[in-house]
Amino acid sequence: MPVLDFRSAVREALDEALAQDDRVVLFGEDVAVAGGVFAVTPGLYEKYGPARVFDTPISELALAGAAFGSAVTGLRPVVEIMFGDFLTLVMDGIVNQMSKYWFLTQGEVSVPVVIRSVVGAGGRFGAIHSQMPISWLTGIPGIKIVVPATPADAKALLRSAIEDDNPVVFLEHKRLYGVQGKVDGERVPLGAAAVVRSGRDVTLVSAMRGVHECLAAADTLAGAGIDAEVIDLRTIRPLDAETVLASVAKTNRLVVVEEGPLTGGWAGEVVALAADRALGDLDDVWRIATPDTPIPYSPPLEDAHLPNAASIASDVRRRLR
Amino acid sequence: MTSSAQPTVAGEPDRYLALYRTMVLIRGFEDLVQSLFLRGEVYGTTHLYSGQEAVAVGFASALDERDRVAATYRGHGHALALGVDPQKLFDEMLGRASGINGGLAGSMNVTSPRDRLIGCFGIVGGSIAAATGAALALRRTGGVAVAYFGDGAMNQGYFFECLNFAKVLELPLVLVCENNGYGEYTAFEAVTAGRLRARAEVMEVPAETIDGMSVWTVREAALRAVAHARSGGGPFFVEAITYRFVGHSRSDPGAYRPEGELERWRERDPLRLLRARLEAEAVDAATLDDVEASVAAELAEMEQRGLAAPFPEPRRFAEFKS
Amino acid sequence: MARELTMPKLSDSMEEATIVRWLKRPGERFARGEPLAEIETDKATVVYEAESDGVLATIVVPEGGAARLGEPIALLDGDADATAAPVARTPQAPTSTAPPTVTAPTPTAAHRDPGRPRATPVARRRAVELGVALFGLAGTGPGGRITRVDVERAAASLGAVADAGYDKGAVERIELTPTQATIARRMTAAASVPTFAVTAEIDMTTVVALRRGAGDLVQRMPSVNDFVVRAAALALRRFPAFNSAYADGAIERHARVNVGIAVALEGALLVPTLFDADRKPLVQISAETRELVERARRRALRPEELTQSTFTVSNLGMFSVHSFTAIVDPPQAAILAVGGIARRPQETDDGQVAFRDTLLATLTADHRVVYGADGAAFLAHVKDLLEHPLSLLL
Repeated sequence: MPVLDFRSAVREALDEALAQDDRVVLFGEDVAVAGGVFAVTPGLYEKYGPARVFDTPISELALAGAAFGSAVTGLRPVVEIMFGDFLTLVMDGIVNQMSKYWFLTQGEVSVPVVIRSVVGAGGRFGAIHSQMPISWLTGIPGIKIVVPATPADAKALLRSAIEDDNPVVFLEHKRLYGVQGKVDGERVPLGAAAVVRSGRDVTLVSAMRGVHECLAAADTLAGAGIDAEVIDLRTIRPLDAETVLASVAKTNRLVVVEEGPLTGGWAGEVVALAADRALGDLDDVWRIATPDTPIPYSPPLEDAHLPNAASIASDVRRRLR
Repeated sequence: MTSSAQPTVAGEPDRYLALYRTMVLIRGFEDLVQSLFLRGEVYGTTHLYSGQEAVAVGFASALDERDRVAATYRGHGHALALGVDPQKLFDEMLGRASGINGGLAGSMNVTSPRDRLIGCFGIVGGSIAAATGAALALRRTGGVAVAYFGDGAMNQGYFFECLNFAKVLELPLVLVCENNGYGEYTAFEAVTAGRLRARAEVMEVPAETIDGMSVWTVREAALRAVAHARSGGGPFFVEAITYRFVGHSRSDPGAYRPEGELERWRERDPLRLLRARLEAEAVDAATLDDVEASVAAELAEMEQRGLAAPFPEPRRFAEFKS
Repeated sequence: MARELTMPKLSDSMEEATIVRWLKRPGERFARGEPLAEIETDKATVVYEAESDGVLATIVVPEGGAARLGEPIALLDGDADATAAPVARTPQAPTSTAPPTVTAPTPTAAHRDPGRPRATPVARRRAVELGVALFGLAGTGPGGRITRVDVERAAASLGAVADAGYDKGAVERIELTPTQATIARRMTAAASVPTFAVTAEIDMTTVVALRRGAGDLVQRMPSVNDFVVRAAALALRRFPAFNSAYADGAIERHARVNVGIAVALEGALLVPTLFDADRKPLVQISAETRELVERARRRALRPEELTQSTFTVSNLGMFSVHSFTAIVDPPQAAILAVGGIARRPQETDDGQVAFRDTLLATLTADHRVVYGADGAAFLAHVKDLLEHPLSLLL
């Protein structure tokens, strides 16, 4: 079974999608000739040509329009927004065009667009290139949000996202690009979480980098006699409620670990789900997230800002006594 | 500014008679919507196209089945010009289940992909964005995407980004600015730097300013623009000078207009201009009277049917296509 | 956890007071500010209000009983005060190895019902499923919350009830005290006596009103039971058959009316004798009864005070019993069992319904000595006297 790094897994998914469906097009800033600022898309322009893979001006409004308009006119566009922080400029297209078309056409025409964007902190890129935009999107009905944590999932979920007829925001954590993993080529559907570590005492739910931190925290907790179950959500919207609720029924303790500000974060949605539907299973529930401030640049400050395996483990220990 | 004193409609009398009917229909439709709004049967707000009919109708006449249109929230005229069923459009205004969008869209968000109408967009400049994307797809099939928007949209980021984007990629996009002199309640000169057409010219995009009250002038310009875009020449910009006879929306009685301005424009009413031309060159008055009477009858029946149509039942909608 | 309610200082000069009436029953919960008892001081009868929330567990001094300032009059189950300190969570200060974990603070406890145990939702569910009471469970969860594990542990230690087998469990043998042995002997003897019982509802409204209304004018207000004893004594004079004993085929009538007054003590029942109750005015009956009860508590009664009753009055009214049937104490011919005063609806003369203070009195009698009609007549006379208590005061 091949071992790939995350960025190669993304490229493979794009390559396969472009090869199998000529309605698929890939565009964005520096994606074609330069192969992407994170070197995710080299070779695709050469292979498929400028009609399928092309560079665009720095014009997020135009990119949004291009993505939406072409998606309802027969193409299956994959548009890259270089940093998730720039999604702010695409919000009008996402909110007022992409998310509403299926509804307004009464289910006749959907918008098969994938917006790929690079997100996340830890790279010392500072406040405006390190954000996690998930919470800006979770309140928009009609937009799927996909958040792979491993190379295998990156490939499988991107294939599924491109084949999905709905608008999908596909987020790639910039600190996962170098992570290696086995890529078996198995398909993974959108909206399905995975229990990546089984446990009895507490459920840790996270996404992207957070999953890796939770797994490491679980190892530490095991040494303290606490057996943690770790769930990789893989899709934030729609959320796989059943997997989370089944775990809570077993462990009775739910901790949601989010890289993103505590207030208004998607972790709150998971907690709300547990409160709505599993109150009688709960011994304890809380969130671990970043402070309600922007992300600082200096390494010790940025490191202190983010939850990591040690801080997660110590918080769980303290709370479980 | 392009206009013509030579015979214009004589070359295609049947076509222009049909265009006349469409323009009369749009005018009557908008009058009907206005009266029903005042009776509380059309809800929220609505933006009427009265006075600007020549632009939508003239341009639509230059399109074929490969082409697509994105309009604004002032889109009834564009919808009807493309052939959207008037009854369904009317029912949508009234919020009935038989509306073209099942009562989900209302006046501002009318959408009909089957009729080549990508949609009517509530965000100023949204039509430009949508048409740009459509043009990206249509370059494969020989189609052309047309975006209609007002003078106010010329100051939105969408205009500049999308025109640049379309020019760089040589997309088959036609941008039609219906300059009716006002962006909502503000005269466009007060908020616009420079001349509109120049903004396209500076990007080396072919641009024309035309008399938007003259449907044959519009049609001729449209034919030029569409041919240019369809042939791979990239985007084309048309500024159509026109005027709306009613306020920005039904909530606006138009009190900001200088005295006499409306009367002067009414003398250039596109319906009146076309009728005069048809009578002069091609068709007798009785025929034209018949057209008007038939439209009136159609509208009367449409009103009755619409008011009797049931409202939709509240129900759950699937968030996603499964 | 239980705490004593001691006789409060209800007037400046008060040294001792009498419980006129308990306004809550054992087991009843009360809130701060609610009336707990009517207490008669040297000055007046005062309604004593609870000083904090709690439950009246045991009455130590029953109605009619007295206690000195500071002496226990009842046992309460109290709760902690209603304003527990909030458990706020503060984020850890950032260090290079322990980055701040931001968790939301818990809400303050100011609005929490103090009587409701803090338990997690799953703990509550399991408690219902397992039949475990949350009260008193120790919580090992955050903030002392009772968790699922705590409940399941408690359920397991309730003796794995399902696995216990089908016997009555271990046997602990408790020997009777001499007093208890005596009582047991006498009850055994009593079982061979053929008896019947008669019950009457006695309207005590006038007595109650008299007692309340006398206020300052009476130093030591006789208790309800004192009135009953006097009434019984007078009735015994009129119906001497009830002041008798069966003895070997004959009835022995006693010249003196000595009324035994049943006193419940821990682990024992004593019945000291009030001699010549028919000749003593109410006030004297009251004073002597108080003294006898006090000595009974101290086990300082003389033997003849325990053996020379000709009739017994037993009152369980302070335990909110509405009626009961006492066992005749041989060789006595009869015993009067008195329940508590309750507000009961009665028909008035004009056909309306009004609430009256009534009690139920049950006469148990030796059927070899007296018969049903006699019992009814006797009891009717007691009722009559109590409903027209002027007769008891003269």
